[in-house]
Amino acid sequence: MPTVLVNGLKREIEAPSDTPLLYVLRNDLELTGPQFGCGLAQCGSCSVLLNGKEVRSCITPLSAAVGNEVTTLEGLPARWAKQKKLIGPEAAHVIHPVQEAWIDEQTPLCGFCQNGMMIKATELLESNPSPTIDQIKEAFTKSGPSPHLCRCGTYTAIIESVQRAAGIMARSKL
Amino acid sequence: MTGTLETLAQEKQDKKVDVFGASLSRRGFVAAGGALLASFALMRSSSAQEETPAMRGIPTSKVSSDSFIEIHADNTILIRTGKSDFGQGTVFTAYRQIVADELYVPFEAITTVISGDTDRTPDGGGTFDLLNHGMPNIRKAGAYVYQAMLDVASKQLNVPKDQLSVKDGVVSGGGKSISYGDLVKGQQLNLTIPVQGDIHTMFGLVVAGNPPLKPVSQYTVVGKSFPNSAVVSKVSAKETWVTDVRLPGMLHGRVIHPKTLGSKLISAGALDKSRFPNAQVVVKGNLVGVVAPTEWEAIKASQQVASGSKWSDWEGLPVDTRLFNFLKEDADWKSVPAATSKESKGDVASVLASSPKKLKATYERPYLKHAPIGPTMAVGEVRSDGSVHVHAHTQNAQALRTQIALMLGFSPDKVTVHTYAGAGHYGRSNGGNAGAEDEAVILSQAVGKPVRVQWMRNDDLQWSTQSSCAFSEVELAVGPNGKLAGYQIDHYMPAMQDDRPVGAILAGLPTMAAPNEKGSLFGMANQPSDPWLYGATPAVLERAHGGPQVGQASSPINIGLRDHSLRTPVQYQQNFPRELAITEAAYLAGVDPLQFRINHATEKRTIAVLESARESSGWQTRSGFANGSGPIKHGQGVSLMMRGGAYWACVAQVTVDTNTSIVKVDKVTMVVDPGIVINPLQLKRQVEGGTVMGVSMTLHEELRFNESQITSSDWMSYPIATMAELPEIKVVLHHHPEVGSYSQGSEAANALAAPAIAAAFFDATGKVARRLPLKPAYVKDLLKA
Repeated sequence: MPTVLVNGLKREIEAPSDTPLLYVLRNDLELTGPQFGCGLAQCGSCSVLLNGKEVRSCITPLSAAVGNEVTTLEGLPARWAKQKKLIGPEAAHVIHPVQEAWIDEQTPLCGFCQNGMMIKATELLESNPSPTIDQIKEAFTKSGPSPHLCRCGTYTAIIESVQRAAGIMARSKL
Repeated sequence: MTGTLETLAQEKQDKKVDVFGASLSRRGFVAAGGALLASFALMRSSSAQEETPAMRGIPTSKVSSDSFIEIHADNTILIRTGKSDFGQGTVFTAYRQIVADELYVPFEAITTVISGDTDRTPDGGGTFDLLNHGMPNIRKAGAYVYQAMLDVASKQLNVPKDQLSVKDGVVSGGGKSISYGDLVKGQQLNLTIPVQGDIHTMFGLVVAGNPPLKPVSQYTVVGKSFPNSAVVSKVSAKETWVTDVRLPGMLHGRVIHPKTLGSKLISAGALDKSRFPNAQVVVKGNLVGVVAPTEWEAIKASQQVASGSKWSDWEGLPVDTRLFNFLKEDADWKSVPAATSKESKGDVASVLASSPKKLKATYERPYLKHAPIGPTMAVGEVRSDGSVHVHAHTQNAQALRTQIALMLGFSPDKVTVHTYAGAGHYGRSNGGNAGAEDEAVILSQAVGKPVRVQWMRNDDLQWSTQSSCAFSEVELAVGPNGKLAGYQIDHYMPAMQDDRPVGAILAGLPTMAAPNEKGSLFGMANQPSDPWLYGATPAVLERAHGGPQVGQASSPINIGLRDHSLRTPVQYQQNFPRELAITEAAYLAGVDPLQFRINHATEKRTIAVLESARESSGWQTRSGFANGSGPIKHGQGVSLMMRGGAYWACVAQVTVDTNTSIVKVDKVTMVVDPGIVINPLQLKRQVEGGTVMGVSMTLHEELRFNESQITSSDWMSYPIATMAELPEIKVVLHHHPEVGSYSQGSEAANALAAPAIAAAFFDATGKVARRLPLKPAYVKDLLKA
């Protein structure tokens, strides 16, 4: 049976190989962080990290994920714990700096798109620990198959949150 | 205190204490816990009800019996509201703050907020105007409960009520003190609050009476930036979204909507059972659905069935490029009388006839989509016992309940609506449904299992309602004193609110009336909805004209382009032409447009927000255009609005690239004075968001359609603003406790952006953009003219 490494766990999946990863995650693995927004890779609500790179799970067939590593919103704390080499209770209770910043800044309004926003922020900060506003805008609008769309208009809060998360990450290195 | 002879005797007598019109009684003693429950009783003389659901042919149900507020023995407090959260955060922040203050408890004491569900919340009503001009139900309920707690404490401590005070949920007086929790321990106290109204309407039940409210000067919780509890659960993937609902035996459904907005089904395509062995097709009238155990099979099978389905053709719409020709030349504006605003005064016609400096112009706004990031979806469950459960994200669960009941011919008592977090849709479901709920129920009834209907992106853009298009005709005159001598505006807008569930229409099942049908909720009429703020104008005439929805009457399936409210409904449509025309009048008068507004304003708060906008935005006071040289032009614009009791001013600064005809919004300053600011950070985030939506509407948004159907079907054909276009947004909050109340503080931002941006474009280029959106092709034509 095909297996995918999802949030650090090996998961066997029965679904047909052409099934978009989004439905596998949401319906088979009950990982409901990624949301269905368009099914067309035009909005980013469904984003996950595939081997650390942001992809749109709505158009990514299961076959493309088989044998690879998928991180969903649910897996961000464990991803951070691993990167920081945290163990035991410290690892169990950690929250990813991106999520922490999103809470501190009260970023979501309806929040439906924020899964993709946090995934994109995580990808960005892993390669660029202190992005400028222009680099943040570039990442959220030019780096993927489409801009990440937010209908509630939280773009200002997102930029502020990415910068706050960068600060949290920087302090964590001290 | 529990179990004393005295209290037992009282209980037996079931003695009721009058609490400012509410009724306090003790229902009994309990071994563990204890609580005070503030539930309600409907007042018999409900005088204000001119139209009830029963009169509209909607069966009525018994109302929910759940309480507004519960105080528990462990000092925790629970609140309930029929309104839901759509990203405003109000029910999780402002409502808790308001109740905490009325009860004299800390914000954190209110540990639970239950919202939306039909059987678990007391008052119903649509999720809009959440602060209800300073008097949401929950505030009065809190005030009643506070008085009841004082009565209970007075008895318990044997201290007169007027000698008691409360701090952090502890009642003190006469040298004694006791916590709320201890006061209710071991017993169940019932406080019955008077309410009036109709739970099934747009507005729901309203708490009646006049309990003493906490003096604003004593607020300690209102005014602070408490966090929204829903943010934590959403950010950490712990929220149960409506998209996450999975019921035992549930099937995934997709609906195949007709070929056009007027097509009848000739034949549904045959399902290829060899490819989709577990799928099933459901046909009811013109509604075709496909269900399957897995979502992917449902999607693929529905695509296969859709490709083989045959529909009749229909061409009953004006093409989008001809929409305003149609509205001006062919549409019917005579069936309903025009409504004249109460601010209208003087003899505008003779002022216009005698003035040399005049403006006569027409302004146009296209149809807009709510365009939620997640397409609407719902889970329907028609059980064998005849009960119906709908799992949805709705702004008005009680209204959705009556719509589903009407559709099925069931009593509303049989229908329960469960609400969850979902993608905001900005007004689309304030009358009940957002689109998929009825279809989920129809499919569930057909297959005898719970069915989850998820609309695809194209369903959501092509089969949902849209914000009404409108045009307005303005005539104004400027006098020799540099001020408006007369102002006249005529707004023309198709009927706005069509709350009929589209699946029920397609299936040929009963629905509420369409706007052009007898017994409809709002009919085809429109009202002047943009409070006039230029009181110094001597002659004013404002009229609103209504008419039928475009294409509906000629659609063989009674659909066409269905209209609905979207953030700042009607007022957005009316404020854009007014504010742009006022800006044009200022240039005509040779007066700075911001100062021109101040010169005509008569209310202090109006003038204050304008002055604040001038100071905080970097506004350059000058008469005449920016007159920049070179191909890159810069301009500034201002707009003004009063909405829900709050005063707003907006300044936009834009750059127009005359080579590419691209308009870039550089900075937007929003000044809002809602009276008391309840939660500064939450309000700031709401205003920022509304501003972005306003920029998006102004630069990009326009429903596209041909003679048969909506052709905006994805984010390419209905683009919205991206982060790349984000302007600098400055939010200035005016906190005025002396006003004594709080008003609506968010959605207006999206409406203010459009006239300010159009005014800035005018300032930059000297060309007036009286039509939205400011797309390059239109801008290019303007610049050439």
